[in-house]
Amino acid sequence: MDLKWIYWGINVLAIVLVVRSLYREKSLREQFVAAMVLVPLILRAFFIK
Amino acid sequence: MFEKKNMASVYTATAMLIVAVAIAVISGKSYLKMRTPTAGVDRVVPHAGFVQKKLSDYFEGIKDTPADTDVYIQEGAEPGGTALILGGTHANEPAGVIAAVVMLETAVVRRGRLIIVPYANMMGRSHTFPQDAHPQTFGFTTSDGNTRTFRYGARITNPVHEWPNPDIYIHPASGQTMAGMERSNLNRAHPGVADGSITERLAYGFMQLIKAEQVDLAVDLHEASPEYPVVEAMVAHENAMELAAMVAMELEFEGVPIRLEPSPKNLRGLNHREWGDNADVLALLLETSNPSAGRFRGRTDEALILTGADKAYEKAAGLGRLYVPYEGGTEPIAERVARHVTTVKLLADNLEYVREGKGITIEGLPGFQALSERGVGAYLSE
Repeated sequence: MDLKWIYWGINVLAIVLVVRSLYREKSLREQFVAAMVLVPLILRAFFIK
Repeated sequence: MFEKKNMASVYTATAMLIVAVAIAVISGKSYLKMRTPTAGVDRVVPHAGFVQKKLSDYFEGIKDTPADTDVYIQEGAEPGGTALILGGTHANEPAGVIAAVVMLETAVVRRGRLIIVPYANMMGRSHTFPQDAHPQTFGFTTSDGNTRTFRYGARITNPVHEWPNPDIYIHPASGQTMAGMERSNLNRAHPGVADGSITERLAYGFMQLIKAEQVDLAVDLHEASPEYPVVEAMVAHENAMELAAMVAMELEFEGVPIRLEPSPKNLRGLNHREWGDNADVLALLLETSNPSAGRFRGRTDEALILTGADKAYEKAAGLGRLYVPYEGGTEPIAERVARHVTTVKLLADNLEYVREGKGITIEGLPGFQALSERGVGAYLSE
């Protein structure tokens, strides 16, 4: 199996976990941090191929 | 900005999620656009007489890969030597690329053969370097008012083609260690490896081209930061030093001062070292001054690429921190291209003196003054 699909799977898992944190955070600051983390993860998973 | 108060809700989370996705989609599309440029971007119009080939014609190992690139060959009526000109080894050094394109579109070979590869590393043209904020394209207005647009790429191969890089890159031919990122640098991969990484295979392709075409003179066109000591310079393998010295003197007579640097014997992977060591070729590398790739630069836009005008560099010049005069606070791309074209012309003109019977006569190339004054666009086809 191509390694790139394993990297892709890890990336998508990271996106799911960060989105989960985004909705669980109780402060705007932490939500903002989670949203910022999401940007490079989405880029890597769906645009860098 | 956001104090730690319990103001967060599912609504704010959703709003931030939407913004994050929007930013990712916009920047992602912009990134992918460089991989598939719109029609006309990077277009070349070879002068009559050039025959188009592919680098994979010389090395099958890069056939149908993103490394394969166009090779243009023009043969004069009279037999003589063969010159190879490379632009775009580093896609973030625009004068090297554009000088190769100008030569491709204006050269008329009377004696010998001229081989031009305007985009040596196509895999460096599909991305810009992260956090360097370079524009993706730049353009020139031609004589008839049209615009010719070219991509501004990166020094290294796009990581989508070979990733991840090692922490330390070991140059296969010598065992020399370098920073891991240099594995993706074409000008650290020579003489190349037939079954190596994609960049090493690309370098191997050029070595096969040089051997198959029995190239006498190989010139790689680059640019360097104004604060880098090897700038406005000609780096020559010891085999090419006599020729380089003659040309350096002629350039001085023409009012184009240039440094003459010997190719370091212990710095491996560079084309002027490896080509000269591995083939019967006079190998040289030319550097002009490019503020758009320098570390002192401020606002990084198309104007900086084309004019080289930057306040920080003006201040640095005043403090004596640069290795170029930086006269008038500019470094116009027309002059940088003119420098490359003039140097290549003089190298071809003088080749006969060091290789009897291998002279090369090229006509039609713009002179230094004409190109500097009229601009690049005047010498590009419609």
